[in-house]
Amino acid sequence: MRVKRLLVMLMALVLVPLVSHAADVKLFTSSTQMLWYQDLLSDEGKREVQEYLRVNVTKLDKEGKLNIYGYGRANKVLSSPSEDLQGRLYYLYVDYRDAFKEHLDLRAGRTYVNSAALSGTVDGLYADVKNLGPVGVTLFGGRHVIFDDKRDVGTRGDALTGMSVYLDTVKNTHVEVSYGRKYGDTDVTRESVGLDFSTTPHQMVNVYGRMKYDTFAETYNEMLFGAKMAPLKDLTLRGEYYRSYPTFDSVSIYSIFSVEKYEEKSITAEYEFSKNYRASVKYAKENFDSDADADVFEIGFVAKPIKDLTLNASYEKRSGYAGQLSGLRFYGEYKISKAAILAGMDYDDFRREISREGTAKKFWAGVNYEFSKLISAVLRVEDNVNFTYDNGYQGYVAVQINY
Amino acid sequence: MIINKAFKIAVLSTAFLLVLVCLSFARTDHRDYRNSKLDECQDCHSGSGVMSNHGAFFVKEHRLLAQKGGSNCADCHQQSFCTDCHKGGNIDADLTRSLSRRGETMPRTHRSDFISIHSIKAADNPQTCSRCHEANFCSDCHGKTRQKGSMRIKSHRPAGTGSQIYSWNSDHAAEVRRNLQSCESCHPDADVCVKCHSSGKQNPHPRNWRDISKRYKNESNGRTCRKCHITY
Repeated sequence: MRVKRLLVMLMALVLVPLVSHAADVKLFTSSTQMLWYQDLLSDEGKREVQEYLRVNVTKLDKEGKLNIYGYGRANKVLSSPSEDLQGRLYYLYVDYRDAFKEHLDLRAGRTYVNSAALSGTVDGLYADVKNLGPVGVTLFGGRHVIFDDKRDVGTRGDALTGMSVYLDTVKNTHVEVSYGRKYGDTDVTRESVGLDFSTTPHQMVNVYGRMKYDTFAETYNEMLFGAKMAPLKDLTLRGEYYRSYPTFDSVSIYSIFSVEKYEEKSITAEYEFSKNYRASVKYAKENFDSDADADVFEIGFVAKPIKDLTLNASYEKRSGYAGQLSGLRFYGEYKISKAAILAGMDYDDFRREISREGTAKKFWAGVNYEFSKLISAVLRVEDNVNFTYDNGYQGYVAVQINY
Repeated sequence: MIINKAFKIAVLSTAFLLVLVCLSFARTDHRDYRNSKLDECQDCHSGSGVMSNHGAFFVKEHRLLAQKGGSNCADCHQQSFCTDCHKGGNIDADLTRSLSRRGETMPRTHRSDFISIHSIKAADNPQTCSRCHEANFCSDCHGKTRQKGSMRIKSHRPAGTGSQIYSWNSDHAAEVRRNLQSCESCHPDADVCVKCHSSGKQNPHPRNWRDISKRYKNESNGRTCRKCHITY
């Protein structure tokens, strides 16, 4: 019933232009997908059909300020006939940009809201009061939508509310204080205050940071300070310090336990040899407490040796607490006329502490063929050779319609 | 008196200049550039005083930018661009992304055989997982597979070969403090913790518990406390 309601809502959006003389369905995207995959828990291969629909209804008013956006999915597991048709409505909201001169943006309906203090999907309202000189204020609130196992769940008592005040003091400097509250079954389960800052005093230097304070646990849940520098035109360097301290919802028994903080210090470098060749490298030192730490190295390379060919390669090596990982990843993309062909592989050698160890390989290939600007077809196949499967095949085929 | 007056003039002048600068600053609307390629960004941004982004580590970096008030992500991206990674979805049929055991497409950060590797990757900042997954996402698997031999956990080993009884070792306190979220994945109600810790012999609370306990008690109406303390 719920899924039918979801589909009716999205289809109704398509009909909005008929009753609004100026409206225009600017972009309508449908993706019909047939998937086959391995479910480790039930130890069986599954087949599933998924129908995605995304509708953008624009130009509802003369100035093009009023728009409606919707996105949802219905799915049915074919290999388990007893399972019902399921569905998710990711978002469906009215967007009113510059509702009051250039000072107010509004979103009403189901929408994703984002702030340093709290983020999530709500059935509610989001307002951005902007351009008040150097100051802006955002406000949001509504029922908290929780996506779980291909459905959306959550009771009427689950809610998110929050606000932020931001200050663009001088060009390229942003300071923001945000506050958020999460409710579970009408109890306040989280309350956070976030502080963000970012400044670019010189075009070669950017300094930024974030602090998120949990008012229940009376501790900083997250803390991040970083600096980004571009000493040469094609070289970007970054240093970061990150600290987190896990906190839990007030109604969770885990909120009463003592925990250790996690710390990470990292440095990265990105270099562009030319427009077609780029390299990146990262080192991170992780600390779990005085007796446990880990080192993580990453290196990546992107190359476009000829027109329409892109190659990506990366290597990651981790050693220390929780386990060792040595992983290589490679993938490439080549465009021939109306077809885009992609293929890649992952190779991971891992050692978990005391338990599982071994190698895991993943080989995949896919093609996206554009019959016309309106219709295209996609095929992806993947083979997994790992601890669980000698050959675990999975993939999907899709028909895309973009109108 | 004169110093006081000079100070007031200086403050007012600075405030006036600050407002003037802010009013003269207008954020560029990027909607006209949404179809541009990333390597074309520098055509405008080079020398503009804005550091380039969308680089090799942007997956990790984007959170700060996206959560800013007045962020301009929506100038180029639809919300589905966010939800397809964070909430599971694949309307644009991204060929580089793999399927999970539930038939959901996973972000590229999930390497090959992620079921085997996830315990290592989850240790690299334990909070990363909870940005997309609810706690019951873990218990959905762990709650059902805890009896399988390959799911051994450092701090609790089977008492004997094939035994379904687990013996604790001295590591468990340190392990719990480092990654308490992983305990929640198998024991959502902490029933096994309460068995020992409710006796009062081992205090599990953090150091500032006296300062913060009242708030927790009030907000949970004492439900959390009563799991161990019957008098609450």
